[in-house]
Amino acid sequence: MKVLIVDDEPLARERLKMLCQEIDKNFELLEAQNGLQAVETVNQSEPDVVLMDIRMPAMGGLEAAQHLMTIDNPPAIIFTTAYDEYALQAFEAQAVDYLLKPIRKDKLQQAMEKGARLNKLQLEYIGQQNQEVPLRTHISAQVAGSLLLIPIADILCFLADQKYITVKYLKDGQVVETIIEDTLKSLEEEFADDFIRIHRNALIRKNRIEGLHKQPDGRTLLKLLQLDEGLKVSRRHLSAIRKLIKGKL
Amino acid sequence: MQRKKTDTPILNQDNSKQSSLFLPNFCSLKMVFSVVIIGELLAFILTLAPMRLEHQRWNDLALISLFIQWNGMVGSASLCLLRPVLTRYSNQFAAVVSYLVLLLSITLISEITFFVLQYYSVEEMIASVTHWEFLIHNLLIGGIISALALRYFYIQDQWRVKMEAESCTRLQLLQARIRPHFLFNSMNTIASLTRTRPETAERITEDLAELFRMLFKSDHEMIPWSRELDLCQRYIEIEKQRLGERLHISWQVKSVPGDAMVPALLLQPLLENAIFHGIEPEINGGEVKVIGQFRNRQLVLTVQNSNSQNLVHRQGNKMALDNIRERLITHYDGQARLACHEEDDIYYVKLTIPYIKHDKKDVT
Repeated sequence: MKVLIVDDEPLARERLKMLCQEIDKNFELLEAQNGLQAVETVNQSEPDVVLMDIRMPAMGGLEAAQHLMTIDNPPAIIFTTAYDEYALQAFEAQAVDYLLKPIRKDKLQQAMEKGARLNKLQLEYIGQQNQEVPLRTHISAQVAGSLLLIPIADILCFLADQKYITVKYLKDGQVVETIIEDTLKSLEEEFADDFIRIHRNALIRKNRIEGLHKQPDGRTLLKLLQLDEGLKVSRRHLSAIRKLIKGKL
Repeated sequence: MQRKKTDTPILNQDNSKQSSLFLPNFCSLKMVFSVVIIGELLAFILTLAPMRLEHQRWNDLALISLFIQWNGMVGSASLCLLRPVLTRYSNQFAAVVSYLVLLLSITLISEITFFVLQYYSVEEMIASVTHWEFLIHNLLIGGIISALALRYFYIQDQWRVKMEAESCTRLQLLQARIRPHFLFNSMNTIASLTRTRPETAERITEDLAELFRMLFKSDHEMIPWSRELDLCQRYIEIEKQRLGERLHISWQVKSVPGDAMVPALLLQPLLENAIFHGIEPEINGGEVKVIGQFRNRQLVLTVQNSNSQNLVHRQGNKMALDNIRERLITHYDGQARLACHEEDDIYYVKLTIPYIKHDKKDVT
């Protein structure tokens, strides 16, 4: 069995490794120091079980779990934490597996044997209950069977198609795009601070607006910095966008 | 079955509200007994009050007692019946209504008494007073006693609320001074070190014991700065084991006199905050800087950390700062300050406290 240990503290990882080895010498042990690395490692090595700390830099355990849930055959996730009042209450309520640090060997063994799978509803509930969980820092997309994480800060816009949403974002200074499964409505709600709706099918980053251009046919197009094509603005959203641009000047 | 379901939440609601009404429960046997006793005492006072010696005194006492007990019982019964209604309103409103109800019941009983006495022609009992005099007399006495009683219940209720709040905040205060997170993380660190580096584990355990020993002492304990510095450095030692390379700390505190008295563990929560907000959320960690200055017979302690963009956990930060402010007020009575500001992504917390020399400790 492959076990991925995710914790930002070296000593915490060390101890978990020792415990795992004692449970079974044949465990293949992998390590990651935060949620981002955890997702990467899951992509590469497809572990069976992830022991996930909650409070970590770059990306916390709850967000990482949220992304991991979207892959086809997600690993079993067991949360480990020293003391997170809110998270613990939520875990209890949803019967999600969690271990309290310092972790006991027998409890760890039990949890591993159970290998309970998380589901999306449980995670959603935990997110709602947990005041300390910040907004997602990344959007995840499945590309060629592995999970791609896109930092929210790099995203220029979300464009809705018939069925999917295209995300245009910057990668090494270049605009690239990928497809995600989500709805514009939920994205708009989640990232209302940084993004604004300009059309039924477009959500754009506020601080990337270059300007509005009136077309000869009366339509208005919005230009984003670094994005060549203009985006259609619907009449309904026009005044809000004008106000936003004015406010910035 | 269905009825039961809908009834339950309403009942619960009532229970929670009842506890917020300042009036005690007059339906309870204990309360009725108290009313009887107090009424009887009042009857004694009223009988003894006129400075005349007459043989009728026992008769007076009996009649006055009867009258007062009637008033007490009717008043208690009305408040008991009104209780479910009063709980729905504010205490002020409940007080006014209760007062009016008590006056009304006194009026009614006075009237009835007067007519009963007249009917049975025991006029000599009240021969010296007219109808109106009798009523106003009773209302005045009853009004004063009722007002005193309501005031007493109100103060008692305030005291109860305060006690409840205090016992609740004590735990929060302790948590504001040291996060449970820290305790359990340290335990985890020790558990991990026990096998690989027993000597370090031993040292960390000692450090932890020392910190908690100080923590369990009273809020008012003053210690020399040299001791506070030592405790804070032990705290940092523990955190360093846990965070490794990510935690950098620099102490620039040489100019602070070691014999300056400070409240115990005043600086430590600031360090804990700096680590929690400035170091832990960063992959590469950061630096916590402690600068101590001594000028104009004041100690100025500044803790700074790179302020991460991560805005969560602000609540915990505020709690710790509020707690320190409170302690500063109790120790220095307005002569100490705590200020924080943010500049170029650096978060500064500045503590200014008056210099009190060590040997003063014995005096205070």
